[in-house]
Amino acid sequence: MKPLFHINFRTPLLALLLVLAPALVAKAQDSRIQMGGLDHLAAKASQTVDVSIDERLMRLAAKVFSDKDEDEREVKQLIANLKGIYVKSFEFDTDGQFVAADVETIRMQLRAPGWTRLVNVTSKKEGMLEVYLLMNGEQIGGLAVLHTEDRELTVVNIVGPVDLDKLAKLEGQLGVPELGIEPTKKTKKEDEK
Amino acid sequence: MKAIATTILVVALISTTANVVNAKGDDFNSVVKMIEQFYRVKHVGLPFLAKAGMKVATTAARIKGGEARRIAEAGSIKLAVFEDQDFNGDFIKFRSSLNEALNVTWMPLVQTLSATDGEQVYIYLQDAGEKTNVLVITIEQREATVVQVTLSPKNLALLLKDPEGTGKAITQEATINDQE
Repeated sequence: MKPLFHINFRTPLLALLLVLAPALVAKAQDSRIQMGGLDHLAAKASQTVDVSIDERLMRLAAKVFSDKDEDEREVKQLIANLKGIYVKSFEFDTDGQFVAADVETIRMQLRAPGWTRLVNVTSKKEGMLEVYLLMNGEQIGGLAVLHTEDRELTVVNIVGPVDLDKLAKLEGQLGVPELGIEPTKKTKKEDEK
Repeated sequence: MKAIATTILVVALISTTANVVNAKGDDFNSVVKMIEQFYRVKHVGLPFLAKAGMKVATTAARIKGGEARRIAEAGSIKLAVFEDQDFNGDFIKFRSSLNEALNVTWMPLVQTLSATDGEQVYIYLQDAGEKTNVLVITIEQREATVVQVTLSPKNLALLLKDPEGTGKAITQEATINDQE
């Protein structure tokens, strides 16, 4: 009879955990941008790149980068405490393959509380660059970059504490594209009042 | 009734675990079968490839202009090749099915698609303790390859730093015709 008692006692707890788990995960991934609304563009794009380095992969990466190799040590430091890097990039052969509504699926999420657009950022690349930071109090919770050209659309989302300097160093590493990001002066918020 | 319910719960849990383990072991073959069914194609077996002069894991790959080096751990390569067949089909649908099938046991790293030339490249990773399993699926208009290899931590670092370049090098290493 004892085993039955244990099972009866644990089952509601297990059920409660199963119910609460998604909510807890969602809370921890607030700075994760949902990019699935852009997936339909792949059918028209001459090149689609989708990079997904989640927390499991981040932990794996932190294990394999060597402290002895200068290059790897730097990457290891850059990704310490990050929870994910997600990139979606589309290149098209002709103009007009994506519309404002497509970009709006991303911008809409970046208007949520906590996200702030940075204005002191430029890019060596052509087109329009928007960089957003998610602040959790005093701490940076994540970063998002939206880069659009006539024939190109790129979204980069870094989940976890990362600043602009670090982002610039991550370009060309771990699937983060070369965006030519150049922070100018000290960070200022566009919506400072 | 309680005893019956408990038994059912335990059996269900055991069978779920068994299915996951089974799927993990057979993912390479499942992907090959998935490509065959989706695109109505047939892969070429390894003995045929050997006759055609193709060797597995005998070449060294050069990555990003660096030193030539072996990437896959010796004896770890699984390879399936599809040659001279049509890979016309809805690649977005294929991608979705592939991700659905592999996302439980593998971690997607990078996926590149081209609607213009029909090329698709998928790279998945699987933690195998000290080492890491890598699955690279490449589909072009007339040919495709599925390669599974095991990487040392050092070569995994290479893959993470340059996923696309190293992914291509892994496929090259597994399929190149070694005439040298």
